[in-house]
This record gives sequence, structure tokens and C-alpha cells, in this order.
Amino acid sequence: MKRTFLTLILSTWSLLATADSTLQIENAWVREAPPSAHMMAAYMTLKNTGSGEAVLTQVDSPAFGHVMLHKSEVVDGVARMIHQDEIVIPAQGSVELKPGSFHLMMPAPEKRLVEGDRVDFILTFSNGATTRVQADVRKKP
Amino acid sequence: MLLAAVLLAACSEPLPPKLSQGTLLPSAKPVAAFQLTDHRGQPFTLENLKDNWTFAFFGYTHCPDVCPTSMAMLAQVQRKLEQQDGLDKLPQVVFVSVDPERDTAALLSEYVPYFHASFIGASGDEQNTLNLSRQLGILYGKVEGSAADNYLIDHSTAIILLDPDGAFRAVFGIPHEPDAIANDFLAIKTYYEATQ
Repeated sequence: MKRTFLTLILSTWSLLATADSTLQIENAWVREAPPSAHMMAAYMTLKNTGSGEAVLTQVDSPAFGHVMLHKSEVVDGVARMIHQDEIVIPAQGSVELKPGSFHLMMPAPEKRLVEGDRVDFILTFSNGATTRVQADVRKKP
Repeated sequence: MLLAAVLLAACSEPLPPKLSQGTLLPSAKPVAAFQLTDHRGQPFTLENLKDNWTFAFFGYTHCPDVCPTSMAMLAQVQRKLEQQDGLDKLPQVVFVSVDPERDTAALLSEYVPYFHASFIGASGDEQNTLNLSRQLGILYGKVEGSAADNYLIDHSTAIILLDPDGAFRAVFGIPHEPDAIANDFLAIKTYYEATQ
């Protein structure tokens, strides 16, 4: 009985934690990297249909040991990558994680990911909501 | 009258091409000697630039976003040029590492040909890397405060075009469009050949 109750609590928590219909993640993909690459990048479009801003604070993935929020910026022709503590998606707005801009940076896993593979990411927002997204590994310019 | 016009046209110097993306240097800038090693462990020096058109991009293999994007874009340029009728020889594409500490020849040999079998990876000691980068207006620097074994490097995104004399001829800033770069290259090559 105790165990059933605990399961119920956990499943309800899980349901609450993941239920955020105002967040839509589209076109999630991971760039296939050369065999010797140590770092990989992932991209996606984050859409917020809610009336308040959504703040992405953490991303986890069973495929990668660590996922970092980053942004590439080019100033006076020089590219630099800046670590982001969070990515803010405005109310009724969207943010595109794309090459040369916001992206997720991950250390490449030991088993190389190739085009056609799929990997999961779990996105956590500042309000506690989490969203799971599946990304395709793509060989892409 | 017509004859005079024809003679005048024949004698006049061809005009520099109008480029859609690149910037042609007012006069080609000769490059002084440098000593790098390619991804096969062979020397890569000024001699390797002679008799070849060369696109050079400066980056590092730990860079997950800008470098693979630029390298994949250069592969698109190369594939477009492969389909170009009358092009006797493809330009060589050289990825010059700004991270010689980590980018060994072995690592480059797996990284660079992934994008295109013809691509060359080159790295050298700090002095030679700085020597070449300074001559081509390329800036780079390790990001202060990043981890000792997992550091980031800021670097120029420009793609440099060197002519078959081994001289700095044109530069391509971002955004990089493969069609525009391929067409600009062909226009620069035609202009170069007409002025030889």
C-alpha cells in the first residue's frame, strides 16, 4: 500500500513536472561530428505560447555526460563562444538555437553518433517544468 | 573608329571583378615563409601554396559550432567547383589550427578529410601559426578563465583566398554563402589569369 502510494506520488510529480503545453520544441537536431571531434552541438527551436516568459536553465541527455548552454557571437569578424546560464524565451515568442548563435554544447560520447541516430534531451525550465525532446543526428552544413 | 575602339579595348587592363561576398585586396599581398605540418605529417610551407589556389580557414577541432559550420560550407563550395566545366584544378582548402597544443596531425587526419577528402589540415608551433595568421589578418586567442584541458579559443571567421603565387588575394567575411564564394572565386581566377 505504502509502495503504491509512493508510486502514485512519483507519477503525479512526473506528470506535473512535464506538463507544460505552452512550450513547443521543434526541429531538434545534433550535428554529426568528425570521428576525432571532442565536442558536438545541438540545435532546436524553442516556442513559448504562454503569456509569461519561459527560462531554460538546464539540459540533460542520457547520450551525453554534460550539456552546456552556449552562444556563438561574432564581433568584428572574431567568433567567440559564451556560456549561458539561461536562455529566455519571451511570452508568445520563440528562440532558435542555430549554427552561429545559441546552441547546446556537449562532449562527444565514446560511441560516435552518426546520421540517423536519435538522442533524447530533457529541458528544464525555471518554473520546474521539464520537456523531453528527441533530436536527429544530421550531417548538415 | 571601330578599329580604334577594338585596339583600345585590347590594350586596356581588365577591370577587377565585382564580387558578391568576397573582398578583393587592391593589390595581392605576398606571404612570407612559414613552416606548418599537414595532417599526413608532411611539411606544409609557402611552397605548398605555389601553383594552387588556396582557401584557408583558421579554427580548432574542439570548436563545436562555428568551425564545423564553416568547414561544411567550404565542402559545399568545393562540390560546386567540382561541377564547374573548364576548371582545370580545384582550389586546395586548408584548415589551419589555432590550437596546436591539442590539434595533433593524428587528430587533424580524422577531422579534416571528414568534410571533404581533398581538404588539408595544418598546424605548427605558436610562432609559425602566429606568423601566418598575422600575415593574413587572422586573430585568435585562448579564452581566459576556461579550464586548462577544456579551453575555448576566440578566432576570426574569415576565409582567406591565396593565389597561385602564394599571395593573399581576397577575404570572405560572414555570412558565408557557398554559391557566392564559388562564383566569386571563379571571377577572381578569371581576372588573375587575364592580368598575368
